[in-house]
Amino acid sequence: MSASVSSDSLRQFSRGIAGALLVAAVWELCARGLDLPAYVLPSVSSILAGLASDAGSLLAAARFTAAESFTGYAIGCLAGMTAAVLVTMIPSARSVVVPLATAINSVPVVAYSPLVLLWFGIGMASKIVMVAIAVSFTIFLSTIAGLDRVDRKSVDLIRSFGADRFTVLWRLRLPTALPLVIAGMRVSTVRSVIVAIVTEMLGAYGGLGWVIYQAVLQVDFVKVWAAIIVASAISLAFFGAISFVERRYVFWR
Amino acid sequence: MTLVDRDFQGAAGDAGTKDLASVQDTAGAERPLIELRQVSKTFGTVKALQDLEVSIRPGELVTVVGPSGCGKSTLFNILAGLEEPDPGNILRLKGVSSAASDLLGKVSFMPQRDLLLPWRNVIDNAILALEIEGMPRAEARKLAMDMLPEFGLAGFEAQYPNQLSGGMRQRVALMRTFLFKRDLMLLDEPFGALDALTRTMMQRWLLDVWQKHKRTVLFITHDVDEAIFLGDRVLVMTARPGRIKLEQVVELPRPRKANIVTSLEFISLKKTLLEAIEEESMKSFQVAGH
Ligand SMILES: Nc1ncnc2c1ncn2[C@@H]1O[C@H](COP(=O)(O)OP(=O)(O)OP(=O)(O)O)[C@@H](O)[C@H]1O
Ligand SMILES: [Mg+2]
Repeated sequence: MSASVSSDSLRQFSRGIAGALLVAAVWELCARGLDLPAYVLPSVSSILAGLASDAGSLLAAARFTAAESFTGYAIGCLAGMTAAVLVTMIPSARSVVVPLATAINSVPVVAYSPLVLLWFGIGMASKIVMVAIAVSFTIFLSTIAGLDRVDRKSVDLIRSFGADRFTVLWRLRLPTALPLVIAGMRVSTVRSVIVAIVTEMLGAYGGLGWVIYQAVLQVDFVKVWAAIIVASAISLAFFGAISFVERRYVFWR
Repeated sequence: MTLVDRDFQGAAGDAGTKDLASVQDTAGAERPLIELRQVSKTFGTVKALQDLEVSIRPGELVTVVGPSGCGKSTLFNILAGLEEPDPGNILRLKGVSSAASDLLGKVSFMPQRDLLLPWRNVIDNAILALEIEGMPRAEARKLAMDMLPEFGLAGFEAQYPNQLSGGMRQRVALMRTFLFKRDLMLLDEPFGALDALTRTMMQRWLLDVWQKHKRTVLFITHDVDEAIFLGDRVLVMTARPGRIKLEQVVELPRPRKANIVTSLEFISLKKTLLEAIEEESMKSFQVAGH
């Protein structure tokens, strides 16, 4: 069973690589063949050269952005899950909190970023807060949905074994919710990197968003693309890591 | 903790099948393990049970039949402590008056569906109740491993529920119920979803296991043959609101062989019971029709 899963994912992986190479080749041909200016589309080879020559500063920026995203992500996940568990344990809170959270979650979070920058300054803190907000609402709602999937009959069964509310939560409700929680976590990985970068563009001392913003001001479009590629790599790696965890621990679906 | 200890001592004490007959001989003199008087249960406007009277002696295997929707599962939910009956009832466990909720954790209950947890393998599903009682996992697993062959699950301990057949899933659920060692065991149509052949195998197997472990069992079924083949007594319930319509003692000798179902005694019991059930089923259809 696990053998077929890994050969499946290997095939998917090699297909992804092949696709990326194809896109790069077409891109290179277009950029060179049509002799496009760099602000429209620089060639892949020039972007790779830019990546190599700016490697030091890009890596530092990548670390900066990754640190913001991961920290905010971790805080957001914890906050979202904790809130969801509390709300399901206190049924009266639920009818107020859930519609409110749904409403807040439907506004694009970046709309709050000017306020957050004002409150938390333009250092890392504001980015972490933004990411945490964005992630926590998604995780909150998916955890609530997951906890709700529990079957009343299963709750009755383990109560008949003498389980109290916390045992029901720990042995039944949380594992039942896990598939939806992890699916929410997987989607949130990409979101957390995007939110960090967008917030950096609005004001920061470092990070990929800041690099992109500065490069645009300096009309250095090769650098813009190089930063975009690094950002995509972070997103993909993050997404891949959580997908791996998901496949490993949610094997029963 | 003390509860666990006491139960395991009890379990260690029951060796072999020979004591069973003596338990049954003296059963009439013993006080009932559990006794219900005037138990009613209303859900909104639906009266599920009305003035139900049941009493079960230690060591008995009592089967319950009745039309669908007559309140059999409701009766079990009350006995498992999950539902409180309407006020005015009398419920005694070993002679002590109790509220239904006092029974939580004191009765081993197997619901109509197996409700195995998909993220736990066979062994960990089987030990769920033991873990909730606080037994260390390693110890519980060891107990369960020793029981696997008896439940026809040897070698399957590491499989997950979605890899098992219906009959095996049911045996895992039964094993979970057996490992939760309580005086009273409630089985709600444990073989209802199985094909006829598997079901007869499981019935014979259950009788073996029951005689070996000497538990008091209340067993719901839709199948009259099953009710007679397994039971010391068969309780026939009326259409909703459920009461006991008929209490039929089954005096077929044990151990019961498969061919007992063709004996004259069996057939005459079956005739009596089918008539009673038929009458009630007609009623419940008429009620449903209007
Ligand atoms: N929690 C509940 N809320 C409302 N009505 C209920 C509830 N539980 C049971 N009932 C009703 O009580 C009646 C008896 O239900 P119960 O499940 O006990 O029947 P049953 O004899 O087990 O039926 P079956 O043989 O089909 O399993 C039914 O009419 C059912 O709709
Ligand atoms: Mg039922």
